Amino acid sequence: MNKLSGAALRQSPTRRASPLSGPLPWLLPVLLMIGVFYLYPILDALRLAFTNASLIGREETYTTRSILAMLANPALGTVLRNTAVFTGASVIGQVLLGLAIALLVVRGERNRLPGMLALRTIVLTAWVIPGVANGIIWSMLFNEAPYGAINSALRLLDIPPVAWLSNPANAMISTIIANVWQGTAFSMIVLYAAIKSIDPVLYEAAAVDGARPWERLWFITLPQLRAALIVNAILVTIQTLNTFDAIISLTGGGPGRATEVLSLFTYNTVFYSYDLAGGSALSMLMLLISLGLACVYALFLPRPEAIR
Amino acid sequence: MARPSKTSLIANCLGATALSLIALPAFAQESLVTRDRVGPADAENVLTFRLTAYDLYSADPATAEGFAELFTDFIQQHPGWRIDTQLQTGNLNEEQARILEQSQAGRGPDCAMIDSAQLATFKQAGVLAPMNDFFTEAEIADLFPFVRDGVSDEEGNLLALWWFTDLRVLYRNTEYVPEAPQTWEETEAAALATVEQGLEGILFNGGRTEGTAFDWMAFFWAQGGELVDENGRPIFHEGENREKFLRALEFVDGLVESGAAPQRVTTITTYDDITASAAAGTTALFIGGNWQYAQLQSTLPPEEAAKWEVSELPGPTAEERATGTGGWAIAALTDDPAKVEICAGIAKLYAGPGNAFQRLLPTSAALYDEYDEFAGAEFGVFAAALENGQARPGVPFYPEISTQIQVLLGEVLSQSKEPEQALDDAAAALIAAYDRL
Repeated sequence: MNKLSGAALRQSPTRRASPLSGPLPWLLPVLLMIGVFYLYPILDALRLAFTNASLIGREETYTTRSILAMLANPALGTVLRNTAVFTGASVIGQVLLGLAIALLVVRGERNRLPGMLALRTIVLTAWVIPGVANGIIWSMLFNEAPYGAINSALRLLDIPPVAWLSNPANAMISTIIANVWQGTAFSMIVLYAAIKSIDPVLYEAAAVDGARPWERLWFITLPQLRAALIVNAILVTIQTLNTFDAIISLTGGGPGRATEVLSLFTYNTVFYSYDLAGGSALSMLMLLISLGLACVYALFLPRPEAIR
Repeated sequence: MARPSKTSLIANCLGATALSLIALPAFAQESLVTRDRVGPADAENVLTFRLTAYDLYSADPATAEGFAELFTDFIQQHPGWRIDTQLQTGNLNEEQARILEQSQAGRGPDCAMIDSAQLATFKQAGVLAPMNDFFTEAEIADLFPFVRDGVSDEEGNLLALWWFTDLRVLYRNTEYVPEAPQTWEETEAAALATVEQGLEGILFNGGRTEGTAFDWMAFFWAQGGELVDENGRPIFHEGENREKFLRALEFVDGLVESGAAPQRVTTITTYDDITASAAAGTTALFIGGNWQYAQLQSTLPPEEAAKWEVSELPGPTAEERATGTGGWAIAALTDDPAKVEICAGIAKLYAGPGNAFQRLLPTSAALYDEYDEFAGAEFGVFAAALENGQARPGVPFYPEISTQIQVLLGEVLSQSKEPEQALDDAAAALIAAYDRL
């Protein structure tokens, strides 16, 4: 063992001089992977945003007109407002509901209640359903025809039917409900794992001090979950900003533009208007918004020294 | 039970082998059509064909079986060939964009079904191969004029075969609406009468879908309105066209405001939603496509189906009528003449026996006489309505026009914008996009 170590030490100056020494060879595969599959598409989208590229295939020239036109598009204000409402409400809804279910499951497991595994599985089922299927399921539930599922149930209870999707304001709420229903499981799993890792000694000490349940939640659980909550919020925000599959099958962005969010607007720009440059400009805007929000969240992450 | 002797075992084996050999050709015949190909797997020549899921791979077993037989006959008449089939998903806009992009990059299918609404885009992109050599002059001359214009380029080349057309008509349940409404006013009155009888009123597409814009355009066209000028620039928001556009908008807006149509029309994005309502008996009046007639006949019990009749879409007056005509084309996207010939053969297969099998509307007058399937009374109504048929403007900018009209109709029908404001906003967005694109 010592002999080997000695030999390795003797060879070390030669190895340092070699281009194959150091961390680079070990990092190269992952750098290549990120470069080819992540960085290149981003750079190409950035390049396309500065062109007049179209799916119709005319000659490509470099210009800033596509970006300026997209920023001046009268629909962009409505779309950004929809995106803010949809993302904000979805993130708050998913994190709060995910936290509530995680607390419920942990509490149930602590009290050895039966069915906790089944509860977790049921919640997760919604998460594995593809977005398009999620939209179709909710469009059947929200269907405003006399045979629509929810409205039929309301009629049985002598409650007047609700314009779930045809009223612009309700349509946004319905879209958020469908998205929260699907995304809650992700938050639940992240927060469930985080709650399980909280040192039980903290709760025992609080019990000795006579802390009530809401005080244990406020002074122990939530502060201990801070990092998990923020990371969860970042991931859910990015995921929600990119959501368009559920919306396209639920409302198609309508009525009018009432539920058209930035990702759907980008998709429509490319695949309906064949405007590749405009779509690329919008996707750059989405990237900037995602990065900006991630940076804002990161400011609230606990510092390493604070954790120590 | 006695054990079989060695002789009888050998006889049984030989019998089974003989039966297998007899059955083998039949098995081979069946396997000529699979989920991803038509023809023998080891064929020398291969053509890739991207098709929709409404015929050979239809969810309806009878349709799929009928087309499998047609394709089997076709491939047997073209020995040495195999057709590799590629199915388009239900997201047709995205599929059409993908075909266009792949064809421009040289990776597209050899032959594909193209939505007639996208033909102008494909023509402008220059990816369609002329098929003139495989059609006689008489065959080309027999195409309906709007079809011939749609599939020909400036040099008169036939760039695709628009194999079936469709049109929009007014459906009514004669138990509730005995007489066909001829005007907008009569339509609103008839719809209100059905509402008084506990039904939903008139249904039509009003969500974010091409059908919404296209169905509604008939009301604009009925007044002689024009969407674009000869250069393809949108002009529907200017001068007389603006007045006509607003009148057509106010007609559908009035239907919702008066309760003659439910506000939920803004959520209707497929004709199937409307067929479902008709089948459920919640509506007695709707604007639909001609193909829904056969759907109703096959869905409803015969005595209920018999109550449904079709008539021309109403106009502002009984004399001013129009209907949007769509449909699908088949085009070759390859330079290989042998493949173009096979593609043209497939197009003829769909246009003739394929249309007859599905009872769709052929685009050539001669085919109506050739097949008995087009003898039904409803085809008389369709043929009369086709005289006022209007195809989408053959300009590549059409998808953007359609999108803006879908948005403004949604805004008007959901009462979130007044017709004038919605039109102004849509026109501003369209002109900005037109000037840039």
